[in-house]
Amino acid sequence: MLAFDFSLFVERMLFGLAEGSVYALLALALVVVFRSTGQLNFAQGEMGLFGAYVVSTLTLSGVPVWLSIVIAMVIGFFIGAGVERVVIRPIEHRNPGAVVVASIGLFLGINQLNAMIWGPDARQLPSPFPTDADAFFRVFDAPVRWERFGIFLVLIGLLVLLWLLFNKTKIGLAMRAVANNQESSSLVGIRVGLVLMVGWGLANAIAVLGASLLAPQAGLSVSLMFGPFLAASAAATLGGLDSPVGAVVGGLLIGLLKAFIIGYVGWLGGDMVFTVTLGIILMVLLVRPGGLFGSVRVERV
Amino acid sequence: MATTPRIVLRGSALHRVGQVVLFGLVALFLVRAGLTWSRTGLGLLTDAIILATVVTGLNLITGFTGQISLGHSAFFGLGAYTTAILVERHGWSPGWTFYMSAVVCFAIGCLVGLPALRLKGIYLALVTLGLAVAFPALLNYKYLVDTTGGAIGIKNLQYLPPEWTPFDGRADLHKWLFWLALFLFVLAALLASNILRSRMGRAMIAVRDNETAAAVMGVNRAVTKTVVFGLSAALTGVAGSMFAVKLTLVEPIIPLFTILGSIVFLVAMVIGGAATTWGPLVGALAYTYISDWARTQGEERSIDGLGGVIFGVLLVLLARFAPFGVVGALRRARARVVRVVPRPPVAPAAATVVAAEATPDGEAPAPA
Repeated sequence: MLAFDFSLFVERMLFGLAEGSVYALLALALVVVFRSTGQLNFAQGEMGLFGAYVVSTLTLSGVPVWLSIVIAMVIGFFIGAGVERVVIRPIEHRNPGAVVVASIGLFLGINQLNAMIWGPDARQLPSPFPTDADAFFRVFDAPVRWERFGIFLVLIGLLVLLWLLFNKTKIGLAMRAVANNQESSSLVGIRVGLVLMVGWGLANAIAVLGASLLAPQAGLSVSLMFGPFLAASAAATLGGLDSPVGAVVGGLLIGLLKAFIIGYVGWLGGDMVFTVTLGIILMVLLVRPGGLFGSVRVERV
Repeated sequence: MATTPRIVLRGSALHRVGQVVLFGLVALFLVRAGLTWSRTGLGLLTDAIILATVVTGLNLITGFTGQISLGHSAFFGLGAYTTAILVERHGWSPGWTFYMSAVVCFAIGCLVGLPALRLKGIYLALVTLGLAVAFPALLNYKYLVDTTGGAIGIKNLQYLPPEWTPFDGRADLHKWLFWLALFLFVLAALLASNILRSRMGRAMIAVRDNETAAAVMGVNRAVTKTVVFGLSAALTGVAGSMFAVKLTLVEPIIPLFTILGSIVFLVAMVIGGAATTWGPLVGALAYTYISDWARTQGEERSIDGLGGVIFGVLLVLLARFAPFGVVGALRRARARVVRVVPRPPVAPAAATVVAAEATPDGEAPAPA
């Protein structure tokens, strides 16, 4: 390649950012749960997808897209909180190892529940952003479509809200305290159980948002979230599993990596892209075993 | 319920008798199944036994050494493809390819074990996840398609019973495959239980319980982790070979060769009871029969997805009511009746005899 095509580079970068934003949203959900419970929620993708199906049902009955997403997020919040209270907590008290089996059970169950309620056929979900043929603007000659760039903007907006929640509200302070040390938190009067429920609810609301933004482009189907869930768990690990900032940076990085590998290293072929991405993450982890932004715990013997 | 449980010394005559009786009952059940069950019934049981062999391998590295692996589907597939390629492309007799699978998977397993020296817990899970994702993708990789058959895979694998066996060719194929699978499982279980009783086994458990402390006590962590990873992969690979000749074909979309397979292995291990002797067999049987039952429930009512939902709910209930697996639950139940305690140590200069704390833990003479 002699002449470097800058506008093509920008186009690929923005494409990667849009895809990475979805991973970042889902990774955020995983990190919020991991900080409170110390577990990877295998069912997070499917729980978010359930919300996207709710959005689909609402829009079909005439509710505006944005309002449907907000309603689905609220429903998702209560589902997430309920799952924590009813399924996860009783198991976690007895054996944290068994939580893995429970969340895999949830993954299979909710995946098939989606198929049972809404049928196995793929369906269309309207995009919350303008989708007209001329709904784009240009950066360095590269066309930027609002339906993609909008996802990135939503991610930024959500980050601001989360920052405010964690740093300026009482429940946010309680959540940080519980993430740091559950026992000490309960000693100073924090209702740890309630905080855990809010954490799971919040995570699921974010996951619903992520799935609802992904579905308009990828098509709403039962297996929609498999790939994004793997990418998001990789993103969360890359960023450091206890760091929300890391989740976002990790998600965007993976989106960019995938876009650039597809664009510039074509001989690797379609199926190998994610493998190569994981290989790169592995190298990062070998240098920084706790992830880019994660804290490394020093263990006492 | 206020009866005091009876105390049994580990290794005493009574304990031995209990163990022998339990082994005898299980062996009797399996032998009877192998002799009398129909083709379909025996086929499902063979699947369960193959799964039990994989879980025996996974239990070594994840249950006893504490290193989570989500990559065992890749070793399973690697074993299956080793057999398929050697039989189809190089004309090997299927039996010999099993050894080759073990060697190949041991080597690759040791290699994969290397990052485990530096990464722990969920981070190691991610690396091994990469392996699981890479394997089906590699099969479709354009420069390897000539060997692997790409998306079409390799078909028509046959492992007919050899001359010296009492089986009558094609008619008894299902019986031969069952006995072969059972033989491999018994070998794997013997290997695993012998390793666990050796110096290596004690090193594994020490690494799991506290790595730093184990290193301080002189355990070579690097050797322990890599070798156990290799052994675990080798057992899984042999089970993969067995799976290939049972299914008679290999292709990249077989669920057990994808990340789904790793999840199945992990679930079977945990619902059986991680780090227990009987866990792999019990877990594999439970997994196979529960998922089969849930599937038929869904099919009988012909509702899309119902089978999956039932299975998911059952997994959650199992995690809730048997958090240490079926074996863990049975041990608890047994502990109300009998308690097996270790023999008090007989030191040459037994200044203080450590009072044997009664633990419900230990080898099972007769659960329930």
